Order: sequence, then structure tokens, then C-alpha cells
Amino acid sequence: MKELNRRDFIKTTTATTAGVATIASGITLTTYAALPKESNPVTNEKRWGMLIDTNKLTESNIDDMVNACQEEHGWGNETHSTGDQQAGWIKKIKVKDKATERISNLALMCQHCEEPPCVDVCPTNASMKREDGIVLVDKHLCIGCRYCMMACPYDARSFVHESLTNQKTHMPRGKGTVEACTMCVHKVDKGEAPACVASVSSDAVIFGDLYDPTSKINQTLKKVQSTQIRADLNLNTGVRYSGI
Amino acid sequence: MSRLLIVFLSVMLSSVVAQADHHIPNLGEKATEFKDEGKEAHKRDGMSHAASLILQRKMHPELLSHKRDKTLRQGVRGGVVQLSKCVECHTSVDKDGEFIPVNAPDQFCSTCHKKVGTSLDCFSCHRTTPAEEM
Amino acid sequence: MSIIRYEQTQGKSLGFYALIAGLGAFILAALAGVYYMEHNGHHVTGMSNRIVWGLPHVFALFLIVAASGALNVASIASVFQKKIYKPLSRLSGLVALALLAGGLMVLVLDLGRPDRLIVAMTEYNFNSIFAWNIILYNGFFAIVAVYLWMMFERRMNKYSRTVGVAAFTWRLILTTGTGSIFGFLVARQAYDAVMMAPMFVIMSFAFGLAFFILILMASYKWTERQLGDAIVNRLSNLLGVFVAAVLYFVAVYHVGNLYLVENSGVENFILVDGGIYTQLFWYGQIILGSLVPLALLYSPATRGNRTMLGLASVLIIVGGLVQLYVIIIGGQAYPMELFPGKEILEGYGGIAAYTPTLAELMLGLGGIAVSLIAVTYLVKFLPFLPESLADDVADPHHKG
Repeated sequence: MKELNRRDFIKTTTATTAGVATIASGITLTTYAALPKESNPVTNEKRWGMLIDTNKLTESNIDDMVNACQEEHGWGNETHSTGDQQAGWIKKIKVKDKATERISNLALMCQHCEEPPCVDVCPTNASMKREDGIVLVDKHLCIGCRYCMMACPYDARSFVHESLTNQKTHMPRGKGTVEACTMCVHKVDKGEAPACVASVSSDAVIFGDLYDPTSKINQTLKKVQSTQIRADLNLNTGVRYSGI
Repeated sequence: MSRLLIVFLSVMLSSVVAQADHHIPNLGEKATEFKDEGKEAHKRDGMSHAASLILQRKMHPELLSHKRDKTLRQGVRGGVVQLSKCVECHTSVDKDGEFIPVNAPDQFCSTCHKKVGTSLDCFSCHRTTPAEEM
Repeated sequence: MSIIRYEQTQGKSLGFYALIAGLGAFILAALAGVYYMEHNGHHVTGMSNRIVWGLPHVFALFLIVAASGALNVASIASVFQKKIYKPLSRLSGLVALALLAGGLMVLVLDLGRPDRLIVAMTEYNFNSIFAWNIILYNGFFAIVAVYLWMMFERRMNKYSRTVGVAAFTWRLILTTGTGSIFGFLVARQAYDAVMMAPMFVIMSFAFGLAFFILILMASYKWTERQLGDAIVNRLSNLLGVFVAAVLYFVAVYHVGNLYLVENSGVENFILVDGGIYTQLFWYGQIILGSLVPLALLYSPATRGNRTMLGLASVLIIVGGLVQLYVIIIGGQAYPMELFPGKEILEGYGGIAAYTPTLAELMLGLGGIAVSLIAVTYLVKFLPFLPESLADDVADPHHKG
């Protein structure tokens, strides 16, 4: 007898659900004449990840990454928030090894953990992880309790401290909710790379599917020595670093 | 007791009036153009245009929140139900050619929401005018 | 021991209305503060992305912790069968409910989106300790309400012990849950300790009893009812034991943390060079909030003196607030260890600054005012207080 593995099971159930949903929607809501197609739900066959090589990454690369992120999502021009109240989805970090005094520069953002503490602690399921490993805040459910910010080991999340207008169409942001790097999910779903990755012309930052053996990130990770930040916490991050 | 009855009846009556009032004062720039061209917006198969519009009017919160969960949690993109498309058609333009936020007083969303007394929470986060590049 | 008769307070005096007006003013100020914070957004507070929980959380968690502790007096009577505490059970349940209501009000009004509170009731993430706490708080209200009913309704009296045991169990779980909000934050050196949960339980004993004693003494004094030494001295002794127990737990917690090298940085910060946090810890929490009250409660010169007991209770409450300030704000101010073995030169780190604003303070004080106004009103409408607690009435062993 064929063993039913998890992936097959998900495939079958997804197909069945989709089928039922199609028929059911035909009954309840008749469809539009020329119906623009919706894309399929993402699956856990992929896991999006990023590899940042701090040996190749220059300081100006990091500045470009931060600027690209601000440009893409429209954060960083809050007028009333001061100091630590300002949004910071991606940060430039400079670290020095205490023994060797070696200095490395890196960009730090949401690490898109496989076991995200923010998702564990969120009382309302607003912090969530997509099937493909991208960790997001569902701002429709976020009540602004900020427990996720207490739990995040990477200081990756920001709380919107003031009213905002003129947001980007693809990136709703609002007062009283928590936000963070989305790994540019709106671009990834279109098959594009995240804005910060696209802003670096060298291969210092690689984006791709960690599971796909033909992807560049998978192959590079097999070759080079890489680390996760706070690997001791066993969160299995989607963002990896080499050279630190 | 009779005072309560009067309050109750007037609330009933006003909600009936609000429901029956199909005149929408401010459709928005693109939607008005669309209508003037004689096109049938929100038309669904097997349904008259009038019925489709009523369905749209009554069900848009459900349609939107159903789609929002699919998009955000499952990455389902595209399709007909998109808040950005609502905003795209239903915003008006002021004298200087600038877009007026769709949730501003007397604009498309706020007119009805105010009339029926329901909150309008989309735009505490979502953009209220069509995207710059459009 | 004669039969205990409970009676409402009259609540018609000038003093009663002055008290209500005074507390009402605090509540109005709190609401004004909330409106100011929610209308502008949290940028008008001292809170930031580094200090995400500020002064309102200090007050909220203090009140919630104290709430479960205030129920102890009833538990001692029902669970441990100490008859002398029995007449205090009703008031104990009331103070517990009132403190919890005040604490939750502060917690909810400091949310980024308090208008979405309903979401917290409809969307549960059962992995979240916060979500468990929402259930525990609601359950506490229900169970204590039933408990009060069992005590008030004569034909239900026979069940009051069973419900009392359930309430006691529930409150232990509740405080454990509150402590666990911090205890399982693996990312932060100051919090990641299972010790947090039992420490919060002991803290609740001390803070809750201090509140209870103050409310008991004030209500008997202002309504000119008799309150005998037999009860007061017992409560006073108990309070001393609880304060000493908190000190013991604090000592074990910090010594234990010092032993772990990874936590020595944050310990050094709190105990030695943390500026305001170090001062608050030693002068506020340890000296003013623990040692001075212990001296007042046990030294022969002040022992048995009601004013001194009141002063000790006030100091324990202030010390408790300071303790939570040091835990919550101090623990966040110290940066997380992002790169063990490395020094962060730029981009993150340093001690986060926090200056509480008036609005935050008023919200916190408003929570206390809500608790007190609830007690003041409810003792007027329902017979919570025995008409006399003089020694010959209250003390089963009184010889007179």
C-alpha cells in the first residue's frame, strides 16, 4: 500500500477543497462574465529564504537595501515619532568580534523563523506564518498589544506610533498595529525578488527557495559555511548569514 | 413604554429608508464614466444588473474580508475582489485634479457607511486614493 | 463567637461623596489621557519600539497580580478552614474583582487598537500565554462571582467551601499565567526564567493583602464600625510573612541569574550600574518597599499600631509598583544579546531610554481609582462588610 506522506496529503486535500469551493461558489455567487483568475494558494513545498554574505556585502550595499525597503513600503518618514519610535524594518548593524576585533556589517530584518516566537505569543493569530515560510502581521486582527515585539529575539518589529496617510497600495500600514519586513511578499507572489535583494547588484544577497535543490540559495548553502543569528534559540530562520 | 416603542419604530423606519435609498450621490470618477458609457459594473452571470448591484451593495464586506484572508494568509492574488480596485474606480477628483480620499466625508464609502451607521475600518491602514503611478 | 451580621454601608455622608468625586476625577483624568494617547497614537507616550510596554503595563500587571492576592483572605477561611478570616471573605472576593477590573481596564486601554477588543475574544491562539490569560481573567470573574453568590445566599453556603477551593486553584493558575507572560520570553535575558511564575504568585500574596488591609481599615474607620485587634494583628503578621517571602524570591532570582554568565550583564545592570533602575531597585523595591515595612510590622515600637500598619501597606504597594517597573521597564531597557561573543558597534544596543508621560501615569492611577470606586459603591449596595469585627464578635478564641 502506498504510504500517504504529508505533501501528498496536502495536495489531495487542497485539490478537493478547491473543487468543492468552485462548485459551491457556482451555487451561491454566480461568477463574473470575464473573470480574472485568482492565483493558487501558496504551499509548504517552498520555503523562501535569504542568504547574506557579509564578506561581499559592502556598507553602501546595506544602505541601498535599507533605502530600497523604505521606498518599497513607505516607512521611515513618520513625522511625529522620535528616536526608537521610528519604524525600522531593516537595520544596518556593525558588529565587532570581542576576541579578534574583526568587524562585520550586515542587514538585520525579520528572520522569518520556522518556529517564530511572535506567532507563538500573539493572542489573536495576527502574527502568522504562511505555508511558504514568510512571517507576516495580519493587521486586520492586530490589537496592538505588542507582545510579539517583546518576544522577537531580533528587534525586527515596529509599532506604528502615529496616524499615517498616503500608504503604498500594496503595503497597508496604520496607527496602533505592529509591522515588520514582509520579505516583499507582494513581489514574491508575482515571481519577483524582494526589493532589498534587487537593490544589491553583486551576489552578496541571494533570495530563493531553500527547499529547491536547483535554486542558487540551496546550492550555495550546501557549499559555504553559514550561520543563523541566535542559532541557540533553535528557531530555524529563513534568513541566513555567511562570514560572521 | 410608548416612548420606547416610538424610538424602536423610528429606528426601524430609518433603516428601511436607508436600505431603500438606492441613490448613491457620489459614485466616483471612473465609476461614473463607466456608468455613463452604459457599461454594467459588478454584473454577474445569471443575474440582472440591478440584482448584481444589490448583491454588491449588501455583500461587499463579506466579499472583501473573505478575499483579504485568502490574500494575506494564503497568498491568493488577483481576481475581481480587490480593495485597491474599489478605490481605483470610486474615488473622485477635486477642482485641482487631485484625488479625494474615498473615505472623506460625502465620498463614495463614507456616504453610505455614515447613513447606515456602520464603522469603516479599511482605511485606517489601506491607501484611500488610487496609486500614484496610475 | 457570635453570629456575624453583614450590613451595607450607608453611603450618604459627605465623606462618601467626596471619596466618589475624588476617585471620579482620577477616572476622568485617565479617560482624558487615553483619548489623548489613542487619538494621537503612542508617539505622545514615552513608549517606543524598544520599550514596548510602559508605565500602563506596570499598573495593569500590578493590579492584576494584586487582585488574585486579595482573594487569599477568603481562601484562608474556606480552603484552610481558619474561622477568624471567614467574616472577611465577602470583602476579599469583592476587592479581588475590583482590582482585576481596574487592571484589565488599564491593559485594554493601552492597546494600539482598543476598539478591536472584540477580536481578542473571538480569535484565540491557544499557544499564546496572553490568550490563556484572557481566559483566566474571564474565568476569575465568573468563579469569584459564583463564590460571592455562594457566600451571600444562605441556602448555597454549604457549597462555598468547594467553590472557594476552585477559586483558590484558579487564582494560583492565573498568577502563574501572568508571571509566565514574562517567564517564557526566551529572547530577553531579564525574563527568561521559570522563577518568574512562582515569584509572581508570592508577589500577589503581599500586594493583594496590603490592598485588602488598607481597604478594610479605611472602610471600618469611615463607617465607624468596630474592628478588633485580633483580626488586624493576624493580617499584619501575615503581611510581614508575605513581604519576607517576596524578598526571599527576589534574592533567589537575582543570585540564580548572576550564576549564569549569559545573564550577568543584565543582572549587573539592575543591581549595580543601571542608573535609575538600580536606584529604584535598591531604594524603592528593597528598602522602601520591603525592609521598612518589615521593620514597621515587626519592631516592638510600631507593632500593633494601625497607622503604622497602614503606612507599611502603602509602602508595600508603592514598592510593588516599583518592583514591576524594574522588571518590566528595566528588563526591556537592557538590550537583547543579538550576537553572543560580539560587540554591536552600530544599529542596535545601548540602554533604551524611557520617560513616562503624564497621560500614562493618569491611565495607571485611573485603574486604581476604578478598583476603589467599585469597592466603595458595591459595599453600599450589597452587605459585604460585617457590621462589627470587634474582638468579641470576630475572634473564636476571645475570652471576655
